[in-house]
Amino acid sequence: MGMPLPVEDHLITMQRDLKRALAKEPGHVRWTMVIDLARCIGCHACTIGCVAENKLPPGVVYRPVVEEELGRYPDVRRRFTPRPCQQCQNPPCTKVCPVTATYKNAQGVVVVDYDRCIGCRYCLVACPYNARTSDFGEWYVKGTAMAEGKLVGREKAGQGYEATPAAEYGRQWPVRGQGSPMGNARKCHFCLHRLAVGLLPACVTTCVGRATYFGDRNDAASLVSELLGSPRLRTLKPELGTQPAVYYLN
Amino acid sequence: MSVSSFRILAGAALLGLLAGAWGIIERLLHGLNPVAFGSHVPWGLWVAFYLFFLGLSAGAFLVTMLAYLFGQERYESLGRLAAFTVLVCIACELLFITLDLGRFERIYQFVLSPNPSSLMFWMFVLVNAMGAIYTFKLWFLIKGDLGKVKALSWLSMPVGLLFYGANGAFFAILLGRPLWNSALTPVMFVLAALVSGGALVAFLCWAIKRDDGLTLGLGRVVAWLLVALLLMELAQIIIAHQSATPAANAALGSMLSGLPWWLHVILGGVVPLWLLFGGQTPKGVAAACLLILVTFVAARYAFLLPDLGVTRLEGLGPFFVHARLSTDYTPNLNEWLVSIWVVSLGVLLFALGARYLPVTGGREEGAEHV
Repeated sequence: MGMPLPVEDHLITMQRDLKRALAKEPGHVRWTMVIDLARCIGCHACTIGCVAENKLPPGVVYRPVVEEELGRYPDVRRRFTPRPCQQCQNPPCTKVCPVTATYKNAQGVVVVDYDRCIGCRYCLVACPYNARTSDFGEWYVKGTAMAEGKLVGREKAGQGYEATPAAEYGRQWPVRGQGSPMGNARKCHFCLHRLAVGLLPACVTTCVGRATYFGDRNDAASLVSELLGSPRLRTLKPELGTQPAVYYLN
Repeated sequence: MSVSSFRILAGAALLGLLAGAWGIIERLLHGLNPVAFGSHVPWGLWVAFYLFFLGLSAGAFLVTMLAYLFGQERYESLGRLAAFTVLVCIACELLFITLDLGRFERIYQFVLSPNPSSLMFWMFVLVNAMGAIYTFKLWFLIKGDLGKVKALSWLSMPVGLLFYGANGAFFAILLGRPLWNSALTPVMFVLAALVSGGALVAFLCWAIKRDDGLTLGLGRVVAWLLVALLLMELAQIIIAHQSATPAANAALGSMLSGLPWWLHVILGGVVPLWLLFGGQTPKGVAAACLLILVTFVAARYAFLLPDLGVTRLEGLGPFFVHARLSTDYTPNLNEWLVSIWVVSLGVLLFALGARYLPVTGGREEGAEHV
């Protein structure tokens, strides 16, 4: 990650930005995401990349893509809007949590303390973006065909994939079915566990159209800071005053 | 309570406990996996039942306020029964809401890491305060120490109003929930609680105490409270209709097209009003109050579900599909079985208390018992 290339993939630029941000005091970094809707092709690769990265069970999703059909025939078009947690700077979800299990961290990311969450789901009801889901203890392999003793059998598949927990928040979680995050509220956390080791969030690296940008908005030299100056910039539901840290370019 | 009434009530409760046992076992073994609600409709039947018992507990509040704070002595004979009823209702409330938690074993976090900006935290504080106040109030009522009862009534006045109001504010503060997000909601909660709680006490007064004068008196109070509540609900509908936002239209449409709402309005509103303002017979008042009571779960359901069922981001629904991400919700067998179990437990507690504790007789009987 030395000198900028004359023409380089945005991922390389963002990787360089990330390295600079990680060298700063955490409290001086403000993680920000910018999503260029003109570049999003609606492939849902970010959704699936996120599901795989965070080992999300059925019914739990951090980054779905909203699809809309706009206009009237023959003047029609489709719009794809990826919707991660908006990481509001004035988050309605943290205020309602009765046990302070969800809060904004030093870098402006709204996180959930799985060991403290009581699973009341008040935060789900309070979020105006439907950005939180609850883990109801669903399994992919339940109800699927069983092949005793075979490598591809249900139990092997279960043990190999979904029983092994993801490293969310950089923690070692219990084998699935033996504790949190089952029963908890869950949400996008900008892949903090990846950021901690110098990797961009999974949705950024899996974006085929390079529509998702990520970085530190306090760094004037970063790509996201440059994009924040665009006249195409908007946020979802600005009238609510939630001040999202996820921006969209129309 | 007579032996025959006790046997009928306790028998029905034991049957209910037996019928609902499978639901409770499933809930304890598999967490929230057996329920039908999901992430887009995160609360369901159990929260509606919580709100139902919350309303019933207001009956004791109403009676004790009338008797010991506003000097209506004719209500004093109901004091102990009312205070005992509120304790049973609070136990059912707590049980329903605890079973609704995904991680109820961490309920101690309310004490270890409280968040004073959350209304749920204040509901936890207030429900415990109400439980404590009414435990002491019942004790002093049984002892016949009316001085301390009056002091506790002064204390329970602000606590009770805050408790019932805070439950309304719990919903009212939520941004973008078109029917809830209104200053009317906390006031409506207090009114709804007083209507259902008053109806419960009036019905018990007729069924257990056979006191026609008191039944008629309470019937009049319930009637006017019901009129006020229905007017508030009409105001809520007009406001939502006039705002005409897509979310308000969707929530209103869902509410007005649902059977629970019409059960509440017709069987829990129009018919009881006709009975209460019509002939004014004790039997008629009891029938009206029973109708209000049994349809009150439907009223709470009709309040809770429409706003939850509104998609908050247009286009979110169809592209990542799972039953837990649906805005459609119908309570499943597990939720009904658990509800039957908790309600039966409440009925059993009430029957045991009414039979073996001095809560149904006059003031003197209680003092003698102590």
